[in-house]
Amino acid sequence: MKTIYLIIIGFLLTISFSLQLKSQDDLMDILDTEVEEEPVVVLATFKSTRIINGHSIERMVKRQLDFRINHRFGKLNEGGYALYGLDNALINFSFEYGINDWLMVGLRRGTNKKVYDLSTKFSIFRQTKGIKVMPVAISYYVDWSFKTLRGLDDLPDIRNAKWNEITPRFAYTHQLLIARKFNEKLSLQLSPSYVHRNLVKKGDKNDIFALGFGGRYKFIRRVAFTWEVFYTDHVTKDNVYEYPIALGFDIETGGHVFQVFFTNSRAMVEDGFLGETTSSWLDGGIYFGFNMSRVFAVGLGRHKE
Amino acid sequence: MKIKLIVLIIFSFIYTEAISQKYITKTGKIEIFSQTPLFTIDGVNKKVASILNAANGDIVASTLVRSFRFEEALVEEHFNENYLEPNKFPKSIFKGKIVNFSDVDINKNGTYDITIAGKLTIHGVTHDISEPGKLIVKDGNITGTTSFNVSLQDYKVKIEKAYKKAIKDAILLKIHFNYKLYKKS
Repeated sequence: MKTIYLIIIGFLLTISFSLQLKSQDDLMDILDTEVEEEPVVVLATFKSTRIINGHSIERMVKRQLDFRINHRFGKLNEGGYALYGLDNALINFSFEYGINDWLMVGLRRGTNKKVYDLSTKFSIFRQTKGIKVMPVAISYYVDWSFKTLRGLDDLPDIRNAKWNEITPRFAYTHQLLIARKFNEKLSLQLSPSYVHRNLVKKGDKNDIFALGFGGRYKFIRRVAFTWEVFYTDHVTKDNVYEYPIALGFDIETGGHVFQVFFTNSRAMVEDGFLGETTSSWLDGGIYFGFNMSRVFAVGLGRHKE
Repeated sequence: MKIKLIVLIIFSFIYTEAISQKYITKTGKIEIFSQTPLFTIDGVNKKVASILNAANGDIVASTLVRSFRFEEALVEEHFNENYLEPNKFPKSIFKGKIVNFSDVDINKNGTYDITIAGKLTIHGVTHDISEPGKLIVKDGNITGTTSFNVSLQDYKVKIEKAYKKAIKDAILLKIHFNYKLYKKS
């Protein structure tokens, strides 16, 4: 008789033990119902604020400063004498800063036509999944550029020019950037663009409409293949202009993102590569280039706020 | 006699369930920290949810890995994209209990030394942990704190060879939960 009681007590203790285990799961269930589910924002559609030449939907987030040096060498078909273009390097350097998580401002200086430009990019929608689905991320990019090269298009030197002789040096770019990260590897972007140039060469259009197709395929951790093609409506059989096409790789290290690529565009500013690309991939008019980006945190405690 | 004992045991279960008070937080904090001469990781997550069952000392906690914020945005991106992989393992959870909960009187203000033991799941890997902590009772609110190291290797968080010098295997977790009495809504 006694053994039966012992067995029953042992049995009950086992149940009580399993009840206790179960009760932790019950607590977890309560927790899951108590915590409101939030939409999950898709991060890192692209590794950098640029796909190659053109901007991606990515911005610097709050209090992050991106110091970027973009290099562009000469054409491969310059041959061995110019070491396949390596003799003729141009650089662009820029500072881009996140005022908050959705708004970035930038200042840039480029060797090509001694151009300065101011830009801003802001996020309209972010791609989300979970309880609220937004299939694409959308950003808007605006750029104002100012070419200061002396003798440009026979314009007077800016040091003694009147205002109405300076404004022809301005150009404006608007881009709607629409991207989707399909999975960890593949992201694609569409970039409808509009460029207005105050002064152009005879026979050229002041306004250009363009549509960019860009993307990345991250084939191993930290390295992605990138591509970017712009269809621009000012390219005809009769003029010298070509569609800008670029192919490259994104390589991440701890604090840097390196982008190495080949492109047929000499200029790095938007109105430049969209409007002034004249080299062709077909006859070796290809420039080797790389972008180096280093992001700094400005001020402390961004994450502790 | 024995039957009475059994009835007593059964009733004690029911009774425990009936009086069981629960404490909850949705704004618990986990700080992660690691420093080498090359690199500092300093992140914080302020969206940790946890329940403490005051009847038996059971604790569960859960958070979305992507709720961690870092000083540098790039570190945050690497943390998510290359290391903790929240796309595959969105949550980190803990299920366990305060082992010496009998030492704690939640109706009396005071600071109690506790030992927390249970199963911690990070990056899809579960390990048993047992760590010292403190439970502070003040006017009906309970604050639980603990800090301990976790090994990245244990949780299969892979650090590339090139970064082994920059990122230590042991990462310090500082945990701070501010519980309030749970009222069913």
